[in-house]
Amino acid sequence: MENLLANSPEHRTQPAAVPNGATPVLQLTNIEKVYQTKTIETVALNQVNLTINRGEFVSIMGPSGCGKSTLLSLMGLLDEPSSGTIEVDGRAVTSFSDKELANLRNLKIGFVFQSYHLINDLSVVDNVEVPLLYRKGMSGKERRQRALTALDKVGLSARTAHFPGQLSGGQRQRVAIARALAGGPEIILADEPTGNLDSVMGEEIMELLMDLNRRDGVTVVMVTHDEQQALKTERVIRFFDGSQVS
Amino acid sequence: MLRHLFTLIWNRKRANLLLISEVFFSFVVLFGVGAVLITVGKNYLAPHGFNYEQVWRLEVRAGQGSKMPRAELDDVLRQVKALPGVQTVALTSGNVPFIFSVNNSEFAYKGKKSPVTNNYDADDHYAEVMQMHLREGRWFAQTDDGSNHRPVVITQDLRESMFGDEPALGKIFTYGEPGKDPKPEDEFQVMGVVDNVNMESDFSAPIPAVWKRLIPFDTTHWETANVLVRVAPGEGGILQEKIARTVAGVTRQWTTEVRVMDDDRLHRRMFTLVPVVGLCLMGLFLIINVALGLFGVLWYNISQRRAEIGLRRAMGATGAGIGWQFLGEMMVVTTFGVVLGSLLAAQFPLLNAFDLPAQPYVLAIGAAAGAVYFITALCAWQPSRLAAAIQPAVALREE
Repeated sequence: MENLLANSPEHRTQPAAVPNGATPVLQLTNIEKVYQTKTIETVALNQVNLTINRGEFVSIMGPSGCGKSTLLSLMGLLDEPSSGTIEVDGRAVTSFSDKELANLRNLKIGFVFQSYHLINDLSVVDNVEVPLLYRKGMSGKERRQRALTALDKVGLSARTAHFPGQLSGGQRQRVAIARALAGGPEIILADEPTGNLDSVMGEEIMELLMDLNRRDGVTVVMVTHDEQQALKTERVIRFFDGSQVS
Repeated sequence: MLRHLFTLIWNRKRANLLLISEVFFSFVVLFGVGAVLITVGKNYLAPHGFNYEQVWRLEVRAGQGSKMPRAELDDVLRQVKALPGVQTVALTSGNVPFIFSVNNSEFAYKGKKSPVTNNYDADDHYAEVMQMHLREGRWFAQTDDGSNHRPVVITQDLRESMFGDEPALGKIFTYGEPGKDPKPEDEFQVMGVVDNVNMESDFSAPIPAVWKRLIPFDTTHWETANVLVRVAPGEGGILQEKIARTVAGVTRQWTTEVRVMDDDRLHRRMFTLVPVVGLCLMGLFLIINVALGLFGVLWYNISQRRAEIGLRRAMGATGAGIGWQFLGEMMVVTTFGVVLGSLLAAQFPLLNAFDLPAQPYVLAIGAAAGAVYFITALCAWQPSRLAAAIQPAVALREE
């Protein structure tokens, strides 16, 4: 009942304003996320309203435990909000089935994680192919071609047969970015992509993401602790204690 | 996706070596048990080639060191046959069906050797008592009294191995190594061919057999005579007592034991069943252990791969897809083990091991493969369901 009320026109809070000419690609309205155990209720996100426009490079900042990663999980359709609605390209995904959500993730969203999340037993090119395995009707040849193109884009053409264990941290993150790019996503969600890298490597990765945003028009939402990197992005959203503060 | 799974398993071959070994050994055990069960089952379903029901076995003993004159023996046979309830009697050698007594040898025809063949002595009434089915020719008869060679009846399998497509009736063959100048009684003339027989036990394969005629006017003295008696349905202990008294009536020195052939058959059956059941129990115990091991390893694997599960969900896999992937991986691992096991198992029919035909081995390979796939799928099912239910956000956060 609470959910229904929250989503009814009377109770619905307006999402963040959309600048003229900008197309919202991700829209979060009245989002709440509460983790509940038998004894404790933890509010991770409280009444979050957020719009991400197509082609934007947005960074999300805030102290540890403020709900940044939870927000990114919700944006990536990896988790369900306790209340509120998420719209992708103007379509509310609240009622989507597991299969529809998986398909949407596969087609529209690329993920980059702080700890890369590469499969150590697969070669670089096989790792990049992983999201394409879940795309129906794509031949093995096309998968391989797209993976090689993505690796070329991140400057790792010479490392396709290597295994993650044979690469540096920066190279691993490049592979992760190539994997995110291989499916041709509209949005890249990056959770502290430079968090495990030294400053030089971090700079390289940041440049790569900015280049993808500028050149290919990919929307990037990046969670970061690094103020300097955040300032390089178009918009900085700050969180504190589960709420958006700016 | 299948290629991806093969790549993944191949690249993890060291980690999967234990699983593949478990599958391999399970396959080998199941193949062995399967081959035994299929062979035993096939033999059980095959006809015996004679009718053991309502047949009794009389063991008439003349006593330690004593011989029985043929005239008195014939008198015993005549008197037993005359008893009400007795249909017919036949004199035979000691290796009657279903007892642990074997007499075998090899034979040769024009240099071509037979397989090891069971030898039986039988009189002219043997086929009637045992209700054997003649495929060619006839059983022995009085007309054979003047034969220059010893008349014999052989089984179809012996006929095929010695004569192939040639006619067998009237052909004369000898022992496998007859020597330079064989005696006429060691030259055997084929009078008839009967169906293959299985006289060892319910679970044994048919063995080629030859019945040599016991000549009625043979003056050989006997220590023990084995007499087969076909009785009317419903006859039991009373007739057995009468038979014993009848023998004692001819001569008090002789002792008689009457045994029912069906009891011999059931007694002999236990000697095969006990080891087979033991083998099955051992196999079952091993398979349960392997299944528990597989279950544990898969459970552990999934807990170790939570981050990968989260990643795959993020990349577009559904929960059900993850479950199927884990099940699929297990099937691929199983395939490696089954292929290795099949390579070993295929040597058995190729090398004609234990003189068995290829069919039971091929069936056992198929059955073992099916059983191993079933067991591994069963063991992988619950862990795969567990993997399918892992929330991607939780899995990624844990990393």
